[in-house]
Amino acid sequence: MEKILVIDDEKPTLTMFRLMLSAYGYEVLTAENGQQGLEIFSRERPSIVLTDIKMPGMNGIEVLKEVKAIDPSAEVIVITGHGDMDLAIQALNLDATDFINKPIQRHLLEQAIQRAQERRRMAGEQAVEMVLQPTGSAAVITIQGNITAASEDRLQSLYREALALDKPRIVLHFQENAAINGAGIALVTQLLLESQKQGRQVVVAELSENLRKVFDIVGLSKIVPVVDSLEKALA
Amino acid sequence: MSLHLIRQTVQRFRDISLKNKIFFSIIAVILIISAVIALLARWILVDNLIDELELRGIAIARTIAERSSGYILDMNQPELLSLIFEEAKLKERQHLVSYIFVSDREGQVLSHTLTRKFPETLRLANQVPPDQAKSVRLTRIGDQMAYDIATPINQGIYRIGTVHVGLNKNHIDQLVAKLRTTFLGFLSAVVVIIFIITHRLAKYITLPVFKLTQIAEEVSKGNFDVKLDFEQVSKGGQPTECPAFANPEVACRHLDGNLAPEAHGGGQGAIDPVCMDCRFYRSQKGDEVAQLADAFYNMIWSIRLYRRRLRESEKKYRSLFDSGPDPIFVINHQSFDIIDANPRAVEVYGFSREELIGKPFTELAPEHTHEYFQSLQSQGEAHGLVTYPKALHYKKGQKPFYVNLHASNTTYKGQPAIVLASTDITEMVEKDAQLIQANKMKSLGEMSAGIAHELNQPLNAIKMGSDFLAMMVEQQRAIPPSDLHQVVSEMSTQVDRAAEIINTLRSFGRKAELVTERVDINKPIQAVYTLVARQFELDNIHLELDLDRAIHPVMAHDNRLQQVFFNLVANARDAIIEKNQRLPDRPVGTIRIRTYQKGNRVVAVVQDDGIGIRDAVRDKIFEPFFSTKESSIDMGLGLAITYGIVKDYGGDIQLASQEGIGTTFTLSFAAA
Repeated sequence: MEKILVIDDEKPTLTMFRLMLSAYGYEVLTAENGQQGLEIFSRERPSIVLTDIKMPGMNGIEVLKEVKAIDPSAEVIVITGHGDMDLAIQALNLDATDFINKPIQRHLLEQAIQRAQERRRMAGEQAVEMVLQPTGSAAVITIQGNITAASEDRLQSLYREALALDKPRIVLHFQENAAINGAGIALVTQLLLESQKQGRQVVVAELSENLRKVFDIVGLSKIVPVVDSLEKALA
Repeated sequence: MSLHLIRQTVQRFRDISLKNKIFFSIIAVILIISAVIALLARWILVDNLIDELELRGIAIARTIAERSSGYILDMNQPELLSLIFEEAKLKERQHLVSYIFVSDREGQVLSHTLTRKFPETLRLANQVPPDQAKSVRLTRIGDQMAYDIATPINQGIYRIGTVHVGLNKNHIDQLVAKLRTTFLGFLSAVVVIIFIITHRLAKYITLPVFKLTQIAEEVSKGNFDVKLDFEQVSKGGQPTECPAFANPEVACRHLDGNLAPEAHGGGQGAIDPVCMDCRFYRSQKGDEVAQLADAFYNMIWSIRLYRRRLRESEKKYRSLFDSGPDPIFVINHQSFDIIDANPRAVEVYGFSREELIGKPFTELAPEHTHEYFQSLQSQGEAHGLVTYPKALHYKKGQKPFYVNLHASNTTYKGQPAIVLASTDITEMVEKDAQLIQANKMKSLGEMSAGIAHELNQPLNAIKMGSDFLAMMVEQQRAIPPSDLHQVVSEMSTQVDRAAEIINTLRSFGRKAELVTERVDINKPIQAVYTLVARQFELDNIHLELDLDRAIHPVMAHDNRLQQVFFNLVANARDAIIEKNQRLPDRPVGTIRIRTYQKGNRVVAVVQDDGIGIRDAVRDKIFEPFFSTKESSIDMGLGLAITYGIVKDYGGDIQLASQEGIGTTFTLSFAAA
């Protein structure tokens, strides 16, 4: 049974996580503070770590750093308070896999864990799967998986190919399991600013809720139109 | 009997006017002196005159005796006759000398000057005894009386005859009468002159006295504007020309001469040039009567000045009382009944003046009035002002409002009384309340992120619990009963937890009532703990409570005390964060709140181990708009408001701090 570690100073929250994640079929490990969490992580080496950011003593950011120091391949999902996007971005920059807002939505939790699982599966291979697909009026780049610094070459070449197709617009189509870290944000930002300079119309479609929040926070949604579905992007 | 008469006379004399006393006394003395002089004069003058005339008669007789001895021996009668005629008719002697005759040894008349027959009775009427040199005897000659002076004529040792000189008694009596008349006339003239002088003198003395008496009577009737027209008046003018009369604030050098300069008016520097030669106060050179008149005049002028000052002062205080901006009461010293109230009191308290007078003051201010007045009475006669801040008074219809009281002991209509001014500060109190409320809202704003986080925790647990249940139902999986129970009981607990946070917030944000209530001081501390403890934990600050459950309640407002403790712990947190920012690896700070009872005081101690307060700013820490933090984030009102609230409840707040070690605030309140 796959192990999952939850670190939160809130006992009721831990209880609920245990019930919920057990129902998903995980072996749930819980810790009430960062120190305890790190001890359990070192001992049990769970594949996925869920940690609250705001905690007395060692906080979630520190836990994230420590975990990544112990095992860079560990998937760490940070749990943030409502509206704490600054901390979320900070966590993403520190290579957190994802973030979830409290109160936790069940489907978001499921997606986050699912993405973490997929990323683990794809670990060592190409971290991101991107495909260029021309349609009638646009060049659509479909993105799934985790956009990181490692994705740069692939994304850049696909972008150049899309430019070469000479369609009126380029659509960045994010799949549900797409995620992004700090370096990935910088990459996408650079690409979008470049296209704007070149006078190319780029549309972002079907961002997941979390990605949409990240795009809002870093200001990308002001540079390019963000739409809910591919159909709208092509229309 | 005669003693009684004397007494009556003395009494009558006492009752007569001063003028008559002087007059009669002097006249009586003069009359007595005159009578004595008259008697003495009679004794001395009349007797001397008679003696002198006798001596003249004797001298004539002796001259004749000397010159006639030869003629007698020679019996030369013609020569003798011519001699006696010569002597008798010499100049004015003829009026004095009635007759002269010479008799021989046997008494036979040798010659005489009578122009008629010598009366036989005269011949032997006066005989000189042999051993005597003269003899004087009153004789009768015809219808006239005469002093017969007889002198013997001696030749050797033999008496050869006798010379008789008759002095006219009528003439002598005429001379004496003339002397007496002249003398008495002179005395009478003197008496009359003295009479007139005395009369004048008595009038001169008594007239000013009479006038002064009249003026004094007028003054005693209250007429101070009586004319002071003495004869001596040489100065004076319209009263308004006197600077001190025109303006009661001006000191009069004469009237206030003995006062310290600051006691009245502007002192030495402010002497009006007009006063250098005062036109009202007089000191003339003159007799005692003039000086008395001056002194009296000055006295009246002083009284006028004083009266004017008194009136002005009365007017001033009356107008203060009548049109003062604040209600003023005069209150009975013993019963605390209202004796007098000004129009403003009527306006503010809503009772009519008639309703107010006689009403016990405690009806307007049921709380603490007795203690307040007693503290005033314990002052005794001292006329100090005793202040009572923020007393709760009631208007007509039991409408409460806040006043500041200032009272002092006074006398009213001769009785000890209390004069009390009450200033309506309701508006100020409301402004205070608004400020406190604003501070509270600011606190709430600061707390909002933390509160959101705090509320998010139970919401998260509830959300996850319900999602879990929904998922299990959707997937038609069986929920183990223990899990189900755990989830639902946890959800219920978390709802309570959220509700508590919301309740605490609500009570914190609510505006305080006017009236204080009995508050267990542990409760607001606990409420603040609920709001902030977990947030502080996130900043690595422990908030520890050490509360004595057995302490007495205090008179206060629960949510204002929350604000007090919130402000204190918020400051403590800032102090700890400021200290820890300078230190590596996020050390843990501690805030400790302790309560206990000490005698009849309830004490709360808020202690932190933060940055501490520098000595230089320790005194300013409770001042409004003072802040050690950056001005943009802090108005510097937190501790000032805290201080104000604590003082409002009659509490005390003490500060002990050591830079770099920590700060301790010790609050104490009277147990209710």
